[in-house]
Amino acid sequence: MKNLRWNNFLFQLVAFLLALAFTSLIMVFAGAPPISAYVEILGGAFGSVNSLANVVVVWMPLLLVTSGLLITFTAGLWNIGIEGQITLGAIFTTAALRLLQESSLPPWLIILLAMLAGVAGGALWAVMAGLLKTFGGVNEIFGGLGLNFVATALTLWLIFGPWKRPGTGSMSGTEPFPDTLWLPQLPGLRLSPWSVIFGAAAIYLVYRLLSGTYFGLRLKAIGKNVRAAFLLGVPAWQHSLLAFALCGFFAGLAGALQVTAVYHRLIPSISSGYGFLGLLVAMLVNYQALWAAPVALFFAALNIGSIQLPIMLNLDSSLSGVLQGMLVLFVLLTEGARKRWLQKNG
Amino acid sequence: MSRKTLWILVSLLLVVAMLGAACQQKKAAGPITFGMLLVGPYNDHGWSQAHYDAGKYVETKLAGSKMIYVDKVNPADRPGTTPAQLAEELVAKGATLVVFNSDDMKDSATEFSKAHPDIKVIMASGDQVWKEGKAYVELPNMINIMGRMEYGKMVAGCAAALTSQTGKIGYLGPLINDETRRLTASAYLGAKYCWTKYLGKDAAALSFKVTWIGFWFNIPGVTSDPTQVADDFFNSGYDVVISGIDTTEAVAEAKKLSAAGQKVWAIPYDYVGSCEEGKEICLGVPYFNWGPAYVKTITSAADGSWKSNWQWNAPDWKDINNLDTSAVGFKKGNALSADAASKVDEFIKELAGGLNLWKGPINLQDGSAYLKDGEVGTDQQVWYLPQLLQGMEGQSVPSK
Amino acid sequence: MNVELRDIHKIFAAVHANNGINLKIPAGVIQGILGENGAGKSTLMKILSGFYQPSQGQILLDDKPVIIRSPADATRQGVGMLHQDPLDFPSMRVIDNFLIGHPGELIPDRGQAAAQLEAIQQKLGFSLRPEAHVDTLTVGERQQLEILRLLWLGVRVLILDEPTTGISALQKEKLFAALRLLAQEGKTIIFVSHKLEDVEVLCHKVAVLRQGRLIGEMLPPFNITRLVEMMFEKVITLGNRRSCCRGEISFRLNALELEDARLHIPGVSLEVQGGEVIGLAGMEGSGQALFLRACAGLVRAVGGHISINEHDLTGKPYHTYLEHGIAYLPAARLEEGLAPGMTLTEHFLLAGEARGFNIDWEQGRKVAQERIADFNIRGTPASPIEALSGGNQQRALLALLKHPLNLILLEHPTRGLDIESSIYIWDKLKERCAEGAVILFISSDLEELLQYSDRLLVFFSGEVSSPLDAERTTVEHLGQFIGGKGWAA
Ligand SMILES: Nc1ncnc2c1ncn2[C@@H]1O[C@H](COP(=O)(O)OP(=O)(O)OP(=O)(O)O)[C@@H](O)[C@H]1O
Ligand SMILES: [Mg+2]
Repeated sequence: MKNLRWNNFLFQLVAFLLALAFTSLIMVFAGAPPISAYVEILGGAFGSVNSLANVVVVWMPLLLVTSGLLITFTAGLWNIGIEGQITLGAIFTTAALRLLQESSLPPWLIILLAMLAGVAGGALWAVMAGLLKTFGGVNEIFGGLGLNFVATALTLWLIFGPWKRPGTGSMSGTEPFPDTLWLPQLPGLRLSPWSVIFGAAAIYLVYRLLSGTYFGLRLKAIGKNVRAAFLLGVPAWQHSLLAFALCGFFAGLAGALQVTAVYHRLIPSISSGYGFLGLLVAMLVNYQALWAAPVALFFAALNIGSIQLPIMLNLDSSLSGVLQGMLVLFVLLTEGARKRWLQKNG
Repeated sequence: MSRKTLWILVSLLLVVAMLGAACQQKKAAGPITFGMLLVGPYNDHGWSQAHYDAGKYVETKLAGSKMIYVDKVNPADRPGTTPAQLAEELVAKGATLVVFNSDDMKDSATEFSKAHPDIKVIMASGDQVWKEGKAYVELPNMINIMGRMEYGKMVAGCAAALTSQTGKIGYLGPLINDETRRLTASAYLGAKYCWTKYLGKDAAALSFKVTWIGFWFNIPGVTSDPTQVADDFFNSGYDVVISGIDTTEAVAEAKKLSAAGQKVWAIPYDYVGSCEEGKEICLGVPYFNWGPAYVKTITSAADGSWKSNWQWNAPDWKDINNLDTSAVGFKKGNALSADAASKVDEFIKELAGGLNLWKGPINLQDGSAYLKDGEVGTDQQVWYLPQLLQGMEGQSVPSK
Repeated sequence: MNVELRDIHKIFAAVHANNGINLKIPAGVIQGILGENGAGKSTLMKILSGFYQPSQGQILLDDKPVIIRSPADATRQGVGMLHQDPLDFPSMRVIDNFLIGHPGELIPDRGQAAAQLEAIQQKLGFSLRPEAHVDTLTVGERQQLEILRLLWLGVRVLILDEPTTGISALQKEKLFAALRLLAQEGKTIIFVSHKLEDVEVLCHKVAVLRQGRLIGEMLPPFNITRLVEMMFEKVITLGNRRSCCRGEISFRLNALELEDARLHIPGVSLEVQGGEVIGLAGMEGSGQALFLRACAGLVRAVGGHISINEHDLTGKPYHTYLEHGIAYLPAARLEEGLAPGMTLTEHFLLAGEARGFNIDWEQGRKVAQERIADFNIRGTPASPIEALSGGNQQRALLALLKHPLNLILLEHPTRGLDIESSIYIWDKLKERCAEGAVILFISSDLEELLQYSDRLLVFFSGEVSSPLDAERTTVEHLGQFIGGKGWAA
């Protein structure tokens, strides 16, 4: 067992180095200095308290999304609809804020209600994917893609239609909320301590849920073999739906944070692609909740650090996307290699 | 301690160790480093490139000045970031002045200016610090700069009207706001003037239609596709398309259709060099020349004479294409016929001589009178045009 | 092809699954491999067919040392294996399954392939429809498909890992005839089994494994007692038939009418007393599996009533059946019974009663340890289920049965178990009877049916016989009845 873990780690390390090597190669071909690029990325992510705070701003919603996805992954579900779930969370939050901002309720209560609405929105969208699967026979991948599409269309319609800024017809976003309706931020930073609390709580809860409860065990059984789980008395579709709902809960919370703590309004790409990024993270950590935090941190740091590339080296920051892609590719490749190696030499 | 926790600790330590290595920051050389946030790619042959080139111009004119920039500053290209946050990155790299180059960054620019009173801010196209404006906020460290592109658009409209054989002009609009309404309306006014005055035709026989894509440039899946919009124009009898967006899809599309034998033309926007992509169909381009204003403003930041103000810079009527003096210009394209070109020149001369098309009677799209007969529009009336004008087709999104 | 294994070792983390095995199998020979559960038979065969690399040792094919890198490599070199649990693609057609793994053009010529399939079928006496979906086939037919596929790929060594559990006597005869034919053609056949009588009639040579070692070989005539002794290090005798004391009538079927895509079972009425064992006999696909699933609440009856201890369960959902102490163990253990990727502890926790919300892993491990000892499973609480040998998986499956139970429904309960374990498991099951449980089980093994049942129901294409008294039925009679003889029109 111990050997196995070491072995696992070794393979991951190899994957990481390979990804780094290949990205460097591409940079060299593009005429860019790889070492300074990496130094810039690192410095850009961790070089100051401010940039560190910005990394955390990305890290927390990503962690929330990943937490949710770990649940659906465990239940053997490919919750591709996660992007839409984040978006719906954001839409519901915005709706609640718009509805209540004129009211006499205290701001903290408005924010709280809006976040609850966001959570409900995410869960609702996830449960839709679940219902489509259990009762409509629609594979959750296709259902999710469809629901993502609808969520985007809904956002655009709201932004360009009913929620447009007075006198303006623009896809850039709705009217920003007054800063009384922002989640409180740390002085001088863009980071809200609440994000950190939610992110940390989410990953801890999911870790506990998956590794220490009967519910988690049942989800795992469904993920490994639905037929067997059912015969052993696990109410399979009910648990699948619940997994969806929980994942949507976290995704919705991430969407709510995007509105109340980051953008303070609804914009077309409100999910910031964290859904797909979260899928990558969940895939990379291979169901192990504890690894989700550092891996998500890595991606968040890459996101923020790569802003330095155009500033300092006149490089396109999509290079960080190349690195991300390479990483995923190589981890999956070495995972395959590892499995084969284990089977033969186990 | 479990092995897992141990590993997490080790990886965290690694990160911290690397931090140290990465921490030494580069201090900028020279007296002033200014940062620029470009909403699109720095080489978009449009709005963002006009700013980028202006920055380069400043570097040559102001010894020791240095530009650093981030381009593609929009939530689709840089998920999870805000302009204010990116401005801070520029400040961290030594910038003491930051240019926010898009209307889309307006809220963020205000937020940033408030949070960083020691950093100078140029908000291009904004009106926050216009005392007589509708959105005034006191921000001592901010200057608004905009060119009077209305003139450029009038000339563009004129060139379009003189060239069109169908009498149908399409306007590829970005998003809808005060700025785009007034620019589109200006193009219409120019077109109508030349159509009736130089060609002697009936104003009612001129159709002028706007289709908005929803943003300054194409964001796949979010905005309408500008190529598609241009194509629809050309294929429904609109033989000239005036572009109001930051990028050059209209030119590319006209070039394609013209190569296939269709008689169509296009007028791009923003950037002096944007006709290059399709010389054979380009009637000319109304462009911004941010350089002179930036040199002046950045100099004032460097020598301490900075004072918050709102600038709406007119062209240099002696020569609107003088890159050292004129804020706005019109560069005629190869596809403009000699006859039309001379009429365009005449029109420019008339404008230089004091012709004002923003003079009543002007009715709004819904038929209500905006400027009475003989009444000359004030800056406020032009800047905050609430609707498109009577005679124009397309969505207005009226502002009360 | 001559096959030779030299000093083969295979070490899994803590288990020495093969320990210095030397074995020569000349071409044209049907080699039997015997051994108790977990002896290392499947491991050895997987090494020969490229699934595993040996930790040490050498394989020679036609006297040349070879390295077999993967199953695909094995078929290229002429070695093919039929696995204990089928590895085909149930949702695809026969012909597509047939084509899978065929090296060659990107776009296979289906017409030609179908013709070749037909030709091989003819020779071996099989009759599969190329357009049928695999999931409509019986286990025996799936086996035939796999054999056809391997032969078409040109294998000259055919390994069969326990091919005779779960297939009918008729299919078994077909299979044996085909194997004999192939051996005559010079193919090498390796036949792994727990059924001594099968080995006896089919094999030219038998090797016995125990705890990873080759204990010895034997040529015909086989001395069965001696073989059993070699396998288990002791003499094993079948216990006497014994019936439990009967209790009240607890399980009742009233004109139960069933239907699926292929079958219609008109109306079965049955009353079973607590402690009774009912054997369900019949060729595969005659309706007994459908019947058993209906009793488990997995298939809804189209008519009639079903009740346990006077509770009417007709039309109730599966979990109500579970609540009333009804348990069902499927034959496809890795597809339906167990969850590969989960450990034994996790399985026991899952099958047991949830105690609160949080799992007490310490307690879970203790329970697992107890069950492992109780059912003599070779594995640890942390063993993932797929690392167990086939027989040990079966024991784990049986160990998952809750306590107490009113009705136990079993499909091939001793599938893959060695003789000793079969006896042991039946002892365990009889204990349940003594506690008042009713057992209904399906088996294709006539001896097992007669040995352990009190009464028998025979199925023949949807028809159900009236209950036969097992004590007064002979193997011959039962065999004929299963084959369709002796049914009143
Ligand atoms: N992948 C694996 N990982 C770890 N241990 C394994 C693995 N496969 C088999 N073993 C162990 O190796 C031993 C031999 O297993 P094998 O499957 O060869 O037995 P077998 O003779 O086929 O038994 P059966 O009759 O029950 O099928 C068993 O103790 C089993 O637990
Ligand atoms: Mg085996």
